[in-house]
Amino acid sequence: MTSIAGADRPALRGDGSADGARDTDPSSGSAADTQRAHSRSVELQIRRQDAPDAAPYWQRFRIATRPGDNVVSVLRALRADPITADGERVDPVAFEHNCMEEVCGACAMLIDGSPRPACSALLKDLGAVIRLEPLPKFPVVRDLMVDRARLFAALKRTRAWVRLDGHWDNHERAPRISQRQWAADYLYSRCMSCGICLAACPQFPDAAGRPADDSAGFVGPAALGQVRLLNAHPLGRYDKAERLHAIMADGGLTDCGNAQNCVRVCPKEIPLTTAIGELGRQTTVQAVKDFFGV
Amino acid sequence: MSSSISNRHFLLRRLHSLLGVVPVGAFLAFHLWENSQSRFGAAHFNEEVVGALAGLNYLPFIEIGLIALPLAFHAFYGLAIIRDGRAEPMRYGYLRNWLYWMQRLSGIGLVVFILLHVGMTRIAGLLDPAIHADLFGHMRSALSNSLVFDLYLIGLWLAVAHFANGLATAAISWGLTTSAAAQARFGWFCLGLGLLLGVIGTHGLLGYLSAPVGTGA
Repeated sequence: MTSIAGADRPALRGDGSADGARDTDPSSGSAADTQRAHSRSVELQIRRQDAPDAAPYWQRFRIATRPGDNVVSVLRALRADPITADGERVDPVAFEHNCMEEVCGACAMLIDGSPRPACSALLKDLGAVIRLEPLPKFPVVRDLMVDRARLFAALKRTRAWVRLDGHWDNHERAPRISQRQWAADYLYSRCMSCGICLAACPQFPDAAGRPADDSAGFVGPAALGQVRLLNAHPLGRYDKAERLHAIMADGGLTDCGNAQNCVRVCPKEIPLTTAIGELGRQTTVQAVKDFFGV
Repeated sequence: MSSSISNRHFLLRRLHSLLGVVPVGAFLAFHLWENSQSRFGAAHFNEEVVGALAGLNYLPFIEIGLIALPLAFHAFYGLAIIRDGRAEPMRYGYLRNWLYWMQRLSGIGLVVFILLHVGMTRIAGLLDPAIHADLFGHMRSALSNSLVFDLYLIGLWLAVAHFANGLATAAISWGLTTSAAAQARFGWFCLGLGLLLGVIGTHGLLGYLSAPVGTGA
């Protein structure tokens, strides 16, 4: 039985009673009984916004849940029958989701005030009232949907990519990396560009009133983690000095305030503050090299 | 090419970090050590501590070049840095986030305190030779006022907390500590250093009041 089917699960009306028959699996009555016994309804308090420049407002919804539900599956169910707790039929709540296994980063939002991926926020770990807000620091497109272009602007600013094509020989043989270095580098490759570290970073500026290309202000921990990764990459290291110069400019590494929220909230447990320390070391060496013209 | 040399942003931020440790932090440690000798009384303090320092050659250059200007740069560039940040200590109740917040609050508090403190001692001493001649007596009467004593006690602990936390984060910024374990280890070391300096400073403040009366002035 799928846990994310929504159409068969109506929203509860204002009086709290389910309107319409619940889906039951005729082949296993006991399982359905168990499911019903475990089901409960939750109240979703959702911060809504109709358009990028529109004023935000709050709406409350009551919805029946199933065992194994997460915030995305409940939002999908709500989308099928978007009726508020006051009984008003409203536009469906806009939100993004994709992989449902915490590897794509699309569903990051504020859940009860904490930035986290909605797909891995299980309802059994949340209370009876769940507050959902769009991820801070990013421009709201609509409701819980934000525009993450800033994150990619930061990756571009820091040259966080590998140049594969060129007129040079990249390497003669397969690149050799020690097992130890591979294990350390792998941690940074898990970044899924969800933007949660940026939401929690006190130094990463709010989106409001910023230039479209986001050319100033702190680049944020996500891009710094990728600089750390690519500076160690067998091909990426050819551009190490350029990347270091990029993060030594305005809004670069030195804008980090060492609050270290990033490493605490990162759902992929990427050692972002270790990256920041290692880049601190690399930029210190680079500054000495620049000074003496090495 | 060498944008880190031609772009002043990195150099200014690192200069701010460096000056906070040397000379400002180093001066703080030296200053608290010197003042901890207040318990030996007016004669010792006015002659051996203040007198020895006042007799240094090139003293104005040392005071201005090694203390005042680095401190002023660190303070005012620090105030500029504070504008960029927005701490949310309630939403993110992690220790380092609280320290991030505390570092900024203490920085603002210290600008006020240090202006008051320098005005009450060094500037007052320049304006009134009697104060300069008996700095011990001046401090003793000032600290007898419980309001002034509390202000100094708060200022002292703000200073050592700001220095200790700043030393721990400077180690990350410069790349001295990279792994979480190393950052935590050095953080504990800085906590110990801060507590030690705070105790030395508190001992010095109490010394002005507890020193024997009859030993001078």
